[in-house]
Amino acid sequence: MHKTSLKTLGELFWVFFKAGTFTFAGGLAMLPVIQKDVVETRKWMGREEFIEYATLAQTLPGVIALNCACFVGRRAMGFIGMLVAAVGATISAFFLMLAATILLNFIPRGGAFAGAFQGVRAASSALVLSAAFTLGRGNLKTAFAVILMLCAFALVAFTSISAPLVVLAAGGAGVVYQRLKERDEAK
Amino acid sequence: MNPILDLLLAFLKVGATGFGGGYGMMSLIVAEARHFSVTIGQIADLNALDMVVPGPIAINAATYVGYLDAGFWGSLAATIGVMIPSFVFVALMMRFIDRYRKNQIMRGVLAGVKPAAVGLIVAAALTIAVGVIAPGASAQSILLNPLASVSLGGLIIFAVVAVLNIRFDVNPILLTVLAGVAGALFLR
Repeated sequence: MHKTSLKTLGELFWVFFKAGTFTFAGGLAMLPVIQKDVVETRKWMGREEFIEYATLAQTLPGVIALNCACFVGRRAMGFIGMLVAAVGATISAFFLMLAATILLNFIPRGGAFAGAFQGVRAASSALVLSAAFTLGRGNLKTAFAVILMLCAFALVAFTSISAPLVVLAAGGAGVVYQRLKERDEAK
Repeated sequence: MNPILDLLLAFLKVGATGFGGGYGMMSLIVAEARHFSVTIGQIADLNALDMVVPGPIAINAATYVGYLDAGFWGSLAATIGVMIPSFVFVALMMRFIDRYRKNQIMRGVLAGVKPAAVGLIVAAALTIAVGVIAPGASAQSILLNPLASVSLGGLIIFAVVAVLNIRFDVNPILLTVLAGVAGALFLR
């Protein structure tokens, strides 16, 4: 069904490589950049279909930009297309972060640098808190959601239960909640 | 166990249960950090680096933690580990996409995991903040004797940055740079 052509593979790689290299602050910021290329320039799929994939990419667990690359790559060229788009979306993040990690070790830690590190780290933890606010604004609209948020927080912060397990349990609780809600609405 | 295999498996778990974007996955990494030779301070550095290094947060995080724990091959194993679930889930989804769209179960799962992700990120923020502002202190010593264990300067920077970013939307990179300068001048 998918005709393997090197040209399309090259384009897939380039589209996601560009998006992965020139967007900062996480995968979500990449989606508009990718949409322009995939829908308008290359015409691999219609706008509707892309938006559906982009939405699905955010509902699945995992890296959003990578999920999106997998959908588009697979749709355009099957399994090989998926791999090529995935490598394109992540390869520059990998090598640039590797370089940054190695360089970070060369920064001296004494004197004023120790203070600067302290300041940057304090700011960085505040910005993680801020990310929770951003995500919370859209996702804490019911009492159930608020209670679940508090439970997940308490379990991870104050017990040694593994966080992935908490996520799975929350998913189970969500399924039960949705069931009960629909039964209530049916009455 | 082999540290490379450990990293691969740990990040496989992060990739398979990381909902809510980069910070959702970051919160899982923070919760699992005790399994790796990475300090909370180093995780805080990672957050700062993420802002200036392009690419998805979770890929950057896997590369960083993997490298600090086990060098180049560690970073490669962690990055591949965090990617594999995407291949599996996307392939499954494209196969069953029509069924998925109507699927009540998936909607239920999301109703549960999204709020949980928020809770996990708050927990991660708290873990990092305590590790940075009161390094080495136990919960007990912070409650009993806060002045001795908490760095007041660090706490002020934390509070000011949180308010300026959450309430007034001030640019995070600018805030980080200013916090670094303030730290260099006042925190010793």
